[in-house]
Amino acid sequence: MPDSAYAVDVQDLGIRYNLRLTRRTTLKGSLAELVGRKQQVESHFWALRHINFKIGHGESLGIVGPNGAGKSTLLLALAGILAPNEGSITLNGRVSTLLTLGAGFEMEVSGRDNIGLIGAFMGIRHKTMQQLTPSIIEFADIGPFIDAPVRTYSTGMRARLGFAIATAVAPDILLLDEVLGTGDEEFRGRSQQRIRDLVARAKAIVLVSHDLTYITEFCDRAILMDMGQILYEGSPAETVEFYKERVRQRKRMLEEEAHRFTMPLPKPVTLDRQAS
Amino acid sequence: MLPFGLPMTTRVRAVTVARPVPAARRLGFVGLIIQGVLDLKTRGRLIQHLVSTDLKRTHADTVIGQLWWLIDPFFQMAIYSILVTVIFHKKIEDAPLFLFAAILPWKWFQSTVSEATTSVTGRGNLIRQLQFPKIVLPAAATLAGSVSFFFGLFSLALLYVFYPHHLSHWLLTIPIIAAVQFVFTLALSILFSAVNTFYRDVQNLLRHVMRIWFYMSPALYSLADLQGSGFRYVLAFNPFTYILESYRNVAYYHAAPEWGALAGVLALSLVLLAFSIWVFKRVETGFAKIL
Repeated sequence: MPDSAYAVDVQDLGIRYNLRLTRRTTLKGSLAELVGRKQQVESHFWALRHINFKIGHGESLGIVGPNGAGKSTLLLALAGILAPNEGSITLNGRVSTLLTLGAGFEMEVSGRDNIGLIGAFMGIRHKTMQQLTPSIIEFADIGPFIDAPVRTYSTGMRARLGFAIATAVAPDILLLDEVLGTGDEEFRGRSQQRIRDLVARAKAIVLVSHDLTYITEFCDRAILMDMGQILYEGSPAETVEFYKERVRQRKRMLEEEAHRFTMPLPKPVTLDRQAS
Repeated sequence: MLPFGLPMTTRVRAVTVARPVPAARRLGFVGLIIQGVLDLKTRGRLIQHLVSTDLKRTHADTVIGQLWWLIDPFFQMAIYSILVTVIFHKKIEDAPLFLFAAILPWKWFQSTVSEATTSVTGRGNLIRQLQFPKIVLPAAATLAGSVSFFFGLFSLALLYVFYPHHLSHWLLTIPIIAAVQFVFTLALSILFSAVNTFYRDVQNLLRHVMRIWFYMSPALYSLADLQGSGFRYVLAFNPFTYILESYRNVAYYHAAPEWGALAGVLALSLVLLAFSIWVFKRVETGFAKIL
């Protein structure tokens, strides 16, 4: 029985991708398979496997690891977007993600309409959203453009509006994936302040970042992931050190390999000796 | 050591004992259907937002905007009227009304199902970022299409200025016929949107199926025209035979809808709807992975 003393309780989590379906299937491919012409490829890929961790109330967890380690997949699973194929995820509280900002904007309708639409997608009550709308518009700082179609917005305006909507309601469990800097200098200052507020109010935080200073600054604990598994778990400083050491080791190994290939070759055997 | 520092891993096939069953499979047939209906009920506000967004978007850039709802069906009716009466020399009394009474509801069905089929794939971006019940997407597309049909009914009303002798109190039963058609449309919309996510061929195939379906429905002709033809029996299996004939009865012939057949179509549609919701809920969890 998962303990409710934890805000997040992940047990033996496994997320599997079906490679046959991921490859934009067409009827032709499936029919060919039915007839028996099976392609000889691995049909499954475990993006995550045997993941176990708990996050207590008030704790923040950092996740580090190289590209393709499964960090983002883990966040998607925590957000409920990907269903576990194995194991379980227990969350105590409302979870929210700040993934790519501005996803789901409807280009042809106004910013105001988009606030309502995205809010409804996020499952925020209509009343709450109506009350929040003025503060969202103010925070996004897009002035009279709010009633113009989003299509006419600049990239920065879109990002600001997306950020303002996504952070309008403070979640219990905050999932962050590299969004600590958007927009110009002025907005970045305000958005960092907003993130700090959310962090202060959230019961639990999961932060994925390639910027290791964020991990040591914001987190109480950190895990290192690679190839869909947890390799190390400890204090942020220890984990970051372990990760850096691992990267250094890898680099050294690569250099050694490279060195072996660039070593001067033994003197080639000349042709005229072979002759006769 | 392998080149480039790849770790020397041996492939171990881990055997998991007592693998937990995914939530979608834990719920039974009825459980998933109930969950699907609850999704639609609790997310009514989201559906409302989606429908209004859809309506605003469709004619956002046009000069006369929403008036196209009235003009579109008129043009279509004009083209078919010329085709049938001038080119095929078919003698139909008050042909525009005869055709319009069937073409309008058909257009509702055809455009709604094709819009709904791509409703899930078109929102891939959002589905990969946010957790929400995806079944609202085809439902909202179906509702948005129904709003256009509602506007189209005004153009039908306008036609009676020219053909007042076809007016009858049976016209008041149009909402009932439309309700039956709505359930049937919703069932297909939900089913196709789910299947299209896995097989994009569906949206292409659908265009052709719809065209064939149209000509195999009594839209440009009436069932009575087929007296003595074997084709009649093919049309007997087509739900739209009864739906379109009912519309034409009330809008053109001063007659009652085909109540018995409509009840049959409704029963079939409800079964199909339950099946569609089950299929949708069953495969929904996979959407984020393949989109």
